[in-house]
Amino acid sequence: MSQVQGGIGIINLSAGDPSLVNEIKELGGEELLECIQCAKCAAACPMVLAGFPFFNKRVIQAILLGLRDALLDDSSIWACQSCNRCTEVCPREVNPFEIIQAMRRVAIREFALPTLAIEGLKSLYDTGHAVYLAGAGNTRAKVGLPEKPPSTLSYPEALKEVRTILENTELAELGVIPMGESGVTDSCEV
Amino acid sequence: MVPKIGVYICHCGENIAGAVNIEEVRAYAEKLPGVVVARNYLFMCSDPGQELIRQDIKDGLVDRVVVAACTPRTHEPIFRKALESAGLNKYLLEMANIRDQDSWPHWHDKEGATAKAKRLIASAVAKAAYLEPLEDRYVEVTPASLVIGGGVAGMFAALDLANMGYKVYLVEKNPSIGGNMAKLDKTFPTNDCSACILTPIMVQVGTHPNIELLTYSEVESVEGTFGNFKVKVRKKQTYIDWDKCTGCGDCVNACPAKVPNEFNEGMDYRKAIYIEFPQAVPKRAVVDIAHCLNCAKRTIGTKPRVHSKTGEPILAPCEKACKTGACDRSREYNPEGEILEINVGTIIVATGYRVMDKAPFKEYSPQSPNVITAMQLERILSATGPTGGQLKRPSDGEKPQTIAFISCVGSRDKRFHTYCSKVCCMYMLKEARLIKEKYPHLNIYIFFIDVRTGGKDFEEYYNYCRDLGVKVLRGRVGAVDELPGDRLRVRAYDVDLGAPVELEADLVVLATAIEPAPGLEELGRKLGITCGNEGFFKELHTKLYPVETSVKGIYIAGCAQGPKDIPESVSQARAASSAAAVPLTAGKVVVEPLISEVNQRKCTGCGTCVQLCPYSAINLVEDKDRRRAKIDEALCAGCGACAAACPSGVITLHGFTNAQIHAQIKALAC
Repeated sequence: MSQVQGGIGIINLSAGDPSLVNEIKELGGEELLECIQCAKCAAACPMVLAGFPFFNKRVIQAILLGLRDALLDDSSIWACQSCNRCTEVCPREVNPFEIIQAMRRVAIREFALPTLAIEGLKSLYDTGHAVYLAGAGNTRAKVGLPEKPPSTLSYPEALKEVRTILENTELAELGVIPMGESGVTDSCEV
Repeated sequence: MVPKIGVYICHCGENIAGAVNIEEVRAYAEKLPGVVVARNYLFMCSDPGQELIRQDIKDGLVDRVVVAACTPRTHEPIFRKALESAGLNKYLLEMANIRDQDSWPHWHDKEGATAKAKRLIASAVAKAAYLEPLEDRYVEVTPASLVIGGGVAGMFAALDLANMGYKVYLVEKNPSIGGNMAKLDKTFPTNDCSACILTPIMVQVGTHPNIELLTYSEVESVEGTFGNFKVKVRKKQTYIDWDKCTGCGDCVNACPAKVPNEFNEGMDYRKAIYIEFPQAVPKRAVVDIAHCLNCAKRTIGTKPRVHSKTGEPILAPCEKACKTGACDRSREYNPEGEILEINVGTIIVATGYRVMDKAPFKEYSPQSPNVITAMQLERILSATGPTGGQLKRPSDGEKPQTIAFISCVGSRDKRFHTYCSKVCCMYMLKEARLIKEKYPHLNIYIFFIDVRTGGKDFEEYYNYCRDLGVKVLRGRVGAVDELPGDRLRVRAYDVDLGAPVELEADLVVLATAIEPAPGLEELGRKLGITCGNEGFFKELHTKLYPVETSVKGIYIAGCAQGPKDIPESVSQARAASSAAAVPLTAGKVVVEPLISEVNQRKCTGCGTCVQLCPYSAINLVEDKDRRRAKIDEALCAGCGACAAACPSGVITLHGFTNAQIHAQIKALAC
């Protein structure tokens, strides 16, 4: 988000969306208002080092000010590596990682999600694994493991259950999970 | 007899020893003329330190004591007691201040500091050789107290003393007591209604048999000293007979003149004849003579004209409305008012503060009626205010939808006041909370430098306000611009986003600084107490003597000493009242014998000293064939003006005799 990073554009607070705070609280970011912007989470965040403009602390401040569009126009929230360090260090038990997750949910409702995420969802629906490496079978065999792990890959009935769960999520309602007729694909490398 | 001087050098932990080579100084002191022993210790004021001195005295080793340590302001009484308990006259002590005047200012020059310590000690030793034993004097204390300022601090100080049984004079410059707190709507951190907790106290003060309320009055002059102050109080002219006035307000309703209302921070008008506010104590009217229109040509002190047809006197509306005869413009009032003389043993100064005006802040569009101070918002929120408690913005009476608060306006600002006004963070949150609780859908933004909520239950208050949806932004506002349609654009930089932000608001509230009350410095001069750099009264010692001043018997409380909130002001007031009660309870106080004495046999009676004495302590009295100066011991404050000026050199200031001072200077000059 160049206007934040470069400080070029002016953010219009009057255009802020006051409903964003409650939406985030409902979607898992219950402790949002506990944040006092101390920046301890930012000090622990790998996204800061990687140069993403909206890392935990800034995501929270932008949510507090209702800057929905600014957050949706930016891909930072999808770059979170889920390392959870922010949650570990936060002195106010804000759980910043959960707030980023909540913001992702907001973004998905607006269909503002990256294509990578859709591929992951497709893999999850097809194989029961968000990340599934087809070529892993040989490697597994070499070290004496069964070719397929004892998961949905080995138990089609378990995969059915996973699919049923997925079909009942809000994600399915939104139609963002590709549910092809192809069944389990050979590989879905992401 | 040759004096036997002991020198005791204090390390003051690292305070002195960190800059001064103690052992070198000790070895030097030991060789000074008259010195029989020189010792050093980590903390000379501690019990083991004092014991070194006491033991040497008891052993007959020393009969004059020089302590090289910190300031005599706080520690001279401690060492004097040590001498006394060892059986030596306590005035045979001299202190060399090698901390405040040496190690602290010369911290980075160890050699220089060590050399200076030697000189200061040599000088003190030289004086010590000429010290003479003196006896304390005691004076009777007038069992009464004066409290200056009738705000929440002054009222509590007065009530405490009055409840202890002492007579209290409470002087307030406005027509009513109550002070700034009477203007507030609700008070943090408990959101008590200010009027609900304050007005009962005002009633108690107004009806207490031991409190003599002197409102619409100011201190004119203060004479005398600890235990016996003579204070002149000017009762300003009210032009109303307060004995007859019932506070009914009929005259106020009749008055046609309009004057900006101070109590409502200039947001509406009062009359020229007015009662300060509806809950005033005492509830009495006063005439603001500068704004009086003199209706019916009824200038004060003139006989009314007579109606040509009816033969009735033609009266002004206020007079006509008054049913009790309190408002009588025919009476000849002295515009200067009346001077009262009162005698008190102690004085408490609780003169409060003033809210800084918005005018100097050009960047915040102070010309806009919708840019207001937080105190103005307080009046808007108050049920007794200009809008009856309805949230209406000044320009058009509309309810604002977006409100921006700006903190530190004139505080933490080198152009105005460098100090933090301390209460603004909390009162902004409070005002935001009161509005948000009433109107949850209003947008409220508070722009802080940082949020300072140090205080019991304050952080919880802050969190609660955030939960209500008050937006908190870090970053000082750079500009408020006027837009068409009474809108205001607030421009700031959100430090947390790292981006410039702007907001369209329809009301902007400035948290302007708490300032010393006008005339504080002049009052300080009358009392002999000093103001610090920031303009507030200075306490004797920040930690140990927080309500005492450099003048014995005069105490300070509340915002006269510095910005503080209501809980702190009340605590300090009650501390001051207890400190001020100590001498009243003791009945007599020690007066140091460091006063002047005239050698009457040699006095020529020239009268030079009589004119100079600031305490009117010297008179010329007939003695045999001629007049000679005589000093009243009870009045002499030991300033030394007479001793320095006496052309015959026959006035001695005990404790600072010519011989002592000459020796001191000579040793310093070596």
